[in-house]
Amino acid sequence: MRTISAVLANRSVRASLIAVVAIALIVAPLILPAFTNQTLVRIGVYAVAILGLNIVMGYTGQVNLGQIFFVGLGAYVAAYGVNHDWNILLVFVAACVIPGIVGLFVALAAARLGGLAIAMVTIALPIVGVPLAKRLDEFTGGSQGTSARFTDAPDWSGLYNDQWQFYIVLLVTAAAFLLARNLVRGRYGRSFGVVRENEAVAASMGISPYRTKVLAFTVASIFGGASGFLYLAAVQYTSPETLSFGHSISLVAAMVIGGAGSITGALIGGAYYVFVPQLTNAIDPNLTAISQGAILLAVLFLLPQGLVSLPRVIRRLARRRTAPSTPSGKPPQNSPVHHPTTEAAVREGLETQRGKIDHED
Amino acid sequence: MGTFIQLVVDGLATGSIYAALALAIVLVNQATGLINFAQGGMAVLSAYIAYAFTRLGLPLILAILIAVVVSFLIGAVIERFLIRRFEGGDPDTAVVVTIGLLALVTGICAVRWGYNNLAFPSLFPLTSVEILGAVVSVRSLATTVTIVAIMVALQVLFLRTKLGLALRAVADNPSSAALSGLPVGRLLMVGWGFAASLGAIAGVLVAPQLTLTPGMLDTALVYALAAVILGGLSSPIGCVVAASAIGVLENLAAVYVPLVGHDLKIAVPFVLIFVILVIRPQGLFGRKVVVRV
Repeated sequence: MRTISAVLANRSVRASLIAVVAIALIVAPLILPAFTNQTLVRIGVYAVAILGLNIVMGYTGQVNLGQIFFVGLGAYVAAYGVNHDWNILLVFVAACVIPGIVGLFVALAAARLGGLAIAMVTIALPIVGVPLAKRLDEFTGGSQGTSARFTDAPDWSGLYNDQWQFYIVLLVTAAAFLLARNLVRGRYGRSFGVVRENEAVAASMGISPYRTKVLAFTVASIFGGASGFLYLAAVQYTSPETLSFGHSISLVAAMVIGGAGSITGALIGGAYYVFVPQLTNAIDPNLTAISQGAILLAVLFLLPQGLVSLPRVIRRLARRRTAPSTPSGKPPQNSPVHHPTTEAAVREGLETQRGKIDHED
Repeated sequence: MGTFIQLVVDGLATGSIYAALALAIVLVNQATGLINFAQGGMAVLSAYIAYAFTRLGLPLILAILIAVVVSFLIGAVIERFLIRRFEGGDPDTAVVVTIGLLALVTGICAVRWGYNNLAFPSLFPLTSVEILGAVVSVRSLATTVTIVAIMVALQVLFLRTKLGLALRAVADNPSSAALSGLPVGRLLMVGWGFAASLGAIAGVLVAPQLTLTPGMLDTALVYALAAVILGGLSSPIGCVVAASAIGVLENLAAVYVPLVGHDLKIAVPFVLIFVILVIRPQGLFGRKVVVRV
């Protein structure tokens, strides 16, 4: 195991690995069956939503139970734009910006109270959102929902629709993950981490907890909107059911199960969100909710940092077996909204800052 | 005027259901410092338990009493074996635990009883009486009176009994309570048990009206949380006042404000919250909390 991580640390090995993955992702839709492509597309769609949720919940520690509302809003905005023949780029921008603005307003009010109040306010978003979507039937098509076809493959490409959709979703998802990675590793990511750990410390360092929370929430809403755009691109239909309360709970569960405070965890969460209901629905639709609750609680008990930490935990167990007397064998008590990656990033950031000061001296 | 009185009484009845759930949430929060998002789901499970006992042929009132006792035990067991492990840790993790619990409890109801609506018998007669020229349903009046009576009983329990004193001590300062010889763990179980029983009463009182489904109280939970935000987590009376006000206001808005209507009345408490958060961030009755590093 250690040799693998040593090899991975090498920069050129890493770059070539990324290139291999990229090529695989570009070639994959051409050889995979349509159903597999569609499944992968849906994973991408929800991975973006979970990534946004991860920024506000995993990295900043603010429980958000209303992420699905922004996904639904993004999908509705995209459907409205497509059906009014807007330029597709404009549709995409609107599908990101409008949920972002709504998220900003919600956060401006909700972040005034403590962390739990944000959870208590955001839980209302899907519950208010569903009747609201039904009411505004001019824009949303009411309970019937609205469909918008804009992701049929153009003739010049020679692709099938599922392949074309795959590339659209791949492009946006890859961009979203890259942006999120840069965000959480940069200055803002460090301030997110400090606010999560201790708001009083953050304030004493000159980081406004209020503004940081509002920022994280707004970014999450924008990601939610982007995910909504992708949802429409993949499904070509949206209805009030898209933003139902149950889906919102599922998103939170998928985020925590994948790994809170981890970029890779968001991808695993997306896969969980798509695969597990598929599996339980095949057995018995009534089992979906109970399996979700059981899996979420089991992960919280056994693997509080989510599935993404599984290799690390196995490595630690293996190390403990080989050298039982090492003091580092003691597992740290970590919560799912606490992750060493950002901790390392904070430390790294502090070190580079310190280095900079030394340099200036 | 007749409609107005009717709307207010009906609003007070639904408001008292929200108040019972809100009080359960406050009870748990006072004892363990977390928000139990599964409170509504647990109440639905209790209502299903009462339903199962009525199907066995027991009289309704007996079935309800059994459900309340069973709910107490379920609440205590959940505290001991699920929540205990996450107490004192990160509150956000505990919230996610209660979300998992909500999914689990809803799932249990769905697997056992399915998603179809089940008719639940009403404890009170479905007749109405005339008060001041307004036709008021007996069920609304009796629901309000029942919940108010239970709240008074709870208040007496907390302020006049040894057990209540111990519960308050644990809520106030668990480590000092433990040092003075109180069995903190067992008292926390009792706190969760009381909250679950309170939820059970709310569940069986509202079930005839909403009909039993696994997601029956999702909306009521949102109302209860709104009442908790408005009333402030530290103030049980504030929550009850806020819950009643929400029940009455949303009923009035649904009828008298065409823009709101019956479908969007759930937005009313949140518009209220939005306004109040901007003016009074600590809630209507809550105290400002000073955090020390």
